[in-house]
Amino acid sequence: MAKSRSMKDDRRRAMIWSYFFLCIFVVFFLTPPFYMLLTSFKSNAEIASATSPWWVHAPTLDNYIELLTTETYLTFFRNSAMVSVLVVAITMAISIPAAFALSRMKFWGSGTLATGVFLTYLIPETLLFIPLFQIFVWVTEFTGIELINRWYVLVILYPTLTVPFATWIMIGYFASIPKELDEAALIDGAGYLQILTRIFIPVALPGIIAATIFAFTVSWAQFLYPLAFTTSADQLVLPVGIITTLIRGDVFTWGQIMTGALLGAAPPLIIYAFLMDYYIAGLTAGATKG
Amino acid sequence: MALPLILIIVLLVLYPALYSLHLATLNKGMERFVGFDNFTFLFSRETFWMVVKQSVVFAVTAVVFKALIGFCVAHFVHNVPVKGQRKWRGMLLVPWVIPPAMSTLAWLWLFDPSYSAFNWLLVKGGFEPIGWLGEVGWARFAVILVNVWVGAPFFMIMYLAALKSVPEQLYEAAAIDGANWWQKLWYITIPMMRNIIAITVLFSLIVTFANFDIVRVLTAGGPLDNTHVFATWAFKVGIEGSDLPLGASVSLFMFPILAIFAIFILRDITKRGAEN
Amino acid sequence: MTTRKFTRRRFLKSTAAVSAATLGFPHIRTSYAAGKLEVGFWDHWVPGANDVLTAACKEWAAKEKVDIKIDYIPSQGQKNLLTIAAEAQAKAGHDMLAFPTWWPADKSKDLEPVDDVMKALVAKNGPVSPLIEYLGKVDGKWVAIPATPGSQIKGPCGRIDLLKQHAGLDVVKMYPAGAAPDKALADKWTWDAFLDAAVKCNKAGVPFGIGFGQTSDSVDTAGTIFAAYGATLVDAKGNITVKSDNVKQVMEYMKKLIAALPSDVFAWDDGSNNRWLVSGKGSLIMNPPSAWAVAKRDAPKVAEQCWTFPAPAGPKGRVQPYLPYFWGIWKFSKNKAAAKSLMMHISERAVVEKMVAASQGYDIPAFGKFNDFKTWAEEGPPKGTLYHYPPKPGQVLQISAYPAPPKIANQIYTQAIMTKMVGKYTQGGESMDKVLGWAATELEGFMRT
Repeated sequence: MAKSRSMKDDRRRAMIWSYFFLCIFVVFFLTPPFYMLLTSFKSNAEIASATSPWWVHAPTLDNYIELLTTETYLTFFRNSAMVSVLVVAITMAISIPAAFALSRMKFWGSGTLATGVFLTYLIPETLLFIPLFQIFVWVTEFTGIELINRWYVLVILYPTLTVPFATWIMIGYFASIPKELDEAALIDGAGYLQILTRIFIPVALPGIIAATIFAFTVSWAQFLYPLAFTTSADQLVLPVGIITTLIRGDVFTWGQIMTGALLGAAPPLIIYAFLMDYYIAGLTAGATKG
Repeated sequence: MALPLILIIVLLVLYPALYSLHLATLNKGMERFVGFDNFTFLFSRETFWMVVKQSVVFAVTAVVFKALIGFCVAHFVHNVPVKGQRKWRGMLLVPWVIPPAMSTLAWLWLFDPSYSAFNWLLVKGGFEPIGWLGEVGWARFAVILVNVWVGAPFFMIMYLAALKSVPEQLYEAAAIDGANWWQKLWYITIPMMRNIIAITVLFSLIVTFANFDIVRVLTAGGPLDNTHVFATWAFKVGIEGSDLPLGASVSLFMFPILAIFAIFILRDITKRGAEN
Repeated sequence: MTTRKFTRRRFLKSTAAVSAATLGFPHIRTSYAAGKLEVGFWDHWVPGANDVLTAACKEWAAKEKVDIKIDYIPSQGQKNLLTIAAEAQAKAGHDMLAFPTWWPADKSKDLEPVDDVMKALVAKNGPVSPLIEYLGKVDGKWVAIPATPGSQIKGPCGRIDLLKQHAGLDVVKMYPAGAAPDKALADKWTWDAFLDAAVKCNKAGVPFGIGFGQTSDSVDTAGTIFAAYGATLVDAKGNITVKSDNVKQVMEYMKKLIAALPSDVFAWDDGSNNRWLVSGKGSLIMNPPSAWAVAKRDAPKVAEQCWTFPAPAGPKGRVQPYLPYFWGIWKFSKNKAAAKSLMMHISERAVVEKMVAASQGYDIPAFGKFNDFKTWAEEGPPKGTLYHYPPKPGQVLQISAYPAPPKIANQIYTQAIMTKMVGKYTQGGESMDKVLGWAATELEGFMRT
């Protein structure tokens, strides 16, 4: 009895401290977004007048109206959404089978490949974009398909950033599935494809969701590739579009930049709020099963 | 089944990387082969060594803090009742969700010499304003701070997931044996999370090491090149200074440094993978 | 179907008759008979300025039956440099691009010579300054023509009230709107007077906002002061001349100036000085009129007190920092004749005048006969604030790192060697010898080919 009460007390104490520290971290994490929110309600004149930065004296929705009614910004949104969704799909289509192959089918060089995949991150984008530009020019010359200055070129490029990590997360999950399980299935006459869809994907769902979240965020936020490969206003994605159209030379329109950043953050935030529940639920389900 | 993976890596990473390697052996005008001249030139530059040092300090400090904060915050979230977790998670994830190129602008605005909202608070509180991005120490602090701010939530979700997958029975058993929280952490939580910690740390180390947008937007390497990291310096000499081969050489130099980290961490993971 | 292409011969024939207002092409009924042209212009920061250029291009395209595609490429995030580097490397992309200052010389081997266009333009629009020749002419050949949009002078923009009150400096009297400068006052407008005013304003709590970071505004200002003292880092032949008395003299000057500036100027970027002025905290910045234009929109009370005037004079004259943009045609372009024809059209006086007006007077065309546009006299408030913004006789237009060979100068400029020297000497507290030694090794590094 005494022991269980002390455990309860421990829990309670841990919880109170947790709340306390969580509040501190939330302040740290949310100060810039909060400041962005404040700034997004300010007019240019109020920002320039350098009154209290932490208060809005004459709130206005002009920045939001301006951004949400201008065709250009809606195009940025649309391009970003299309790119990110397609990249997530491609990432999954590539990394799930790859992770399966690397974790189960032992073939020549599979171990090296698994490590090699991760090592691609050692090669930074700053190094790659000039040669890539050249490759795309060749593609255009040989096939007539225009890639440069088209939003879909990003759909081809981003998987290089998302697939390796996604594959690795998945290898981790697949590796935790007992070998006996798929051996039994093999004996029952199931093919690789069936093992993958019936056993691996359901078990690795949290991993798949984690990878989705990761891939979406990465493609939503990428900066250097779209900066290098897209130019026309109708082909730009959100971060580059916002930064290049709202900062002009040495003139910053802070109110609109902050508004754009917040609006840009909204879609992934909403998606995560939804996905995270599945993610955590999947994990706890997996844990109790194990 | 791994073919598409191999294909994109070979075509869009490996080939361009080899091409860059070739580029790094050319002279500035890219007309003739100069072998290792670009590298020997770099080694003779004071700035280059400063960039090497700064990159390592930047990446290691930022990753350590990201991992620590991510680990702690994951625990705190894990400790509160499940019902309330969603709200906390949502709030804590915000920094990671805003595209860094844009959130860094918000930081830039918070640090601005004329309009700094932090300095406004300092002045109101009777302190001297701080030259956030103007003084070497503060500028280094600022780029690391922003990087930690952007990256910590990622660690938090990865660790939170890992925490959830640690079977509760283990803790209960430990509690019966009279283990304190520190022993539980050291003997149960950390060993159980080891793989995920290793992978996230390695991944973050690489990404942080190669970071471009935060430093570029916040300080562009200044003051006096003191906050340059490899990517921003490579951009400076390669693109702005129109010396692509030299820029490529700077970028390539990241590879051996990171490869050392990577081999250590990956070896550790695969070794333990084999033990299981 | 009669489709015709522009031919070089046809182009030459028309330029031969230089007096012709535009290069004429026979009318062909088929639409877009004269092919396609992809152009990348600099994305102007003034709202609406791009539209004027677009309209001029469309007008030309309709007349010449060219299918034109225009991209506006911002300099933000160095996007224009990325584009230039990538297109030069891949030998594909736009036909014609806007090149900032150093880039025509840098990419000269990939650029189509435009001597014919330049010759025609100079004959019509007046001479260009030696600076334009230094930047745009490589090995005796013009590789690009000076462009109007984005070309700017970064002279002082000061607060009429604050300068008068705290430094006893009447800038309106010194450089009156619509009239020649007051000779007695303007002669006294030297860098020493500038320092004196900076010290006084700093004491009064409204310091000058001169950036000493690594971006263009900072580098240009430092370069101007260096040039005014005759301090060159590398001479025209490529010899390192950093260890000279002139350099030492200017460094001592800088030390005194830095003491009168805000402490974090070494981290300032091109936007910091604008905000310094607009926030009302500062009394003077070195910037083209964009800061004033933003103040006009956001802080009208500040804008009414802003006056733009030429840089102070130094022992080596009144040096004004000028940053011209250029338009160049890639050698790989498949429609060079059309591009040249477009260059002629958008360098017409009427078109340029419209562009300058649309830029609110920000753009400074390179040609001598274009310095009399009404825009500069009329822009305000305060009316005439830009009257002394365009260059006047007796001023030397220069760019930081001049007269070093452009490829070396480009490195000096982008690596911000001058502001870094000042930073090391002042903030870093290093000795003069050490700083000059450091600069010399950096400069040696730039000699690579």
